[in-house]
Amino acid sequence: MTKHGYEGLLIVIEGTDGSGKSTQLELLKKYIQAQSYGVMVSEWKTSRLIANVIDDAKDRNLLNATTYSLLYAADFADRLENQIIPALKSGFIVLLDRYYYTALARDVVRGQDIEWVKNLYDYAPEPDLVFYLDMPVDVLLKRIIGTTGLDFYESGRDVGFSTDFYKSFEIYQKKCLEQYNNMKSEYNFKSIDGTLPIKTIHNIMSDEVQTILDSGILY
Amino acid sequence: MSKLTEKHNYKGTLVCVEGIDGSGKSTQLALLRDWLKATGQDVIFTEWNSSELISQTTKLAKKKNMLSPRTFSLLHAVDFADRLKQVIDPALKAGFIVLADRYAYTAFARDVARGVDAQWVRNVYNFAIKPDLAIYFDIEAKDAMERICSNRAPKFYEAGMDLKLSNDPYESYMIFQGRVIKEYQKMVDEFGLVKLDAMDSIHSKQVAIRTMLKEVLNSKGVNLND
Repeated sequence: MTKHGYEGLLIVIEGTDGSGKSTQLELLKKYIQAQSYGVMVSEWKTSRLIANVIDDAKDRNLLNATTYSLLYAADFADRLENQIIPALKSGFIVLLDRYYYTALARDVVRGQDIEWVKNLYDYAPEPDLVFYLDMPVDVLLKRIIGTTGLDFYESGRDVGFSTDFYKSFEIYQKKCLEQYNNMKSEYNFKSIDGTLPIKTIHNIMSDEVQTILDSGILY
Repeated sequence: MSKLTEKHNYKGTLVCVEGIDGSGKSTQLALLRDWLKATGQDVIFTEWNSSELISQTTKLAKKKNMLSPRTFSLLHAVDFADRLKQVIDPALKAGFIVLADRYAYTAFARDVARGVDAQWVRNVYNFAIKPDLAIYFDIEAKDAMERICSNRAPKFYEAGMDLKLSNDPYESYMIFQGRVIKEYQKMVDEFGLVKLDAMDSIHSKQVAIRTMLKEVLNSKGVNLND
């Protein structure tokens, strides 16, 4: 039996920005597809309607901690009810780039009460497998500065830790990492050292997935 | 812990009106607003689903009927949170009388009538400030329908057509608004809403409201001369 009771499998890759989630998701998708299973991928903040609102509000710096939490929760609810659950019901293997653990980390760092945030997501199905890419903050910093650059909200500038971008990013990401660490045992994360080579990480993940597939849980 | 059950410590006063469409709450609030302004009070008005941040999106989504009850509930909570932090909270701190056309109770009535868990939605809104005066205009579904649908059919959401209760908008309206009313009636005790009979005259309701508001303001040391 799957953990959520639906026919499909729910597999999550969690981690902060720059931890290599998308790369691993892509590799895992190919790995599973090669075995003739139906795979669906869904990323954080991609609902048709609400994702644009979030981006627009962020651009105009209109969000406070509460509206930030609620908008992401609305985006999640939309994707969950319109994409994820229907796919699980029809037996797909659903791969998720981030799950509500992201919201728990970010919202709590923004000062929200953890019980309030948990309530927002309490209807979400329990994943069959959660991979967490664990990355030290100094490596993260380099990766992000070297790729997308520092973003206002991802640097937690809205929280007011520091007006210095670098400093703010460092504090914010450290606090997010603390939250993720607190969640590891509660949500049964398979924590993987994110500094390992891409291939090594993929092998760890695909072994775990293969074990579930071999158990005959899907047919 | 919910702020909705704790008395606030702001200088200002928060008044909200609740009830289904056609219960006459907006008329009463407009009369109240004009009177308060005439007596020289600082008054600010805010209404349900009107924040710049999200209201247009919610309206668009409604038109297309593309979102689930839970998603709608969260979008309305975004709207509410935005107005609470941007409008209501600062105005109360500055000592204004804040008049709200609908408040969190609207979500508790409508969302629950749409099948959202009652405790869940109460938890979502637990950051809402408890009003000094919350008035509920009680009306029967058939009376409200007569008032708002005298020259048109009930609208899609107002009739709860998204719930597929009936293909006939009038019948669907009666079932759906009946559920909303039931939720409101439960809240009279739960949150201390003051129930007024919507079928009473405009004048007698306004007299009752002014009397109650004067008492609230007196207790805060504000005396109105009219």
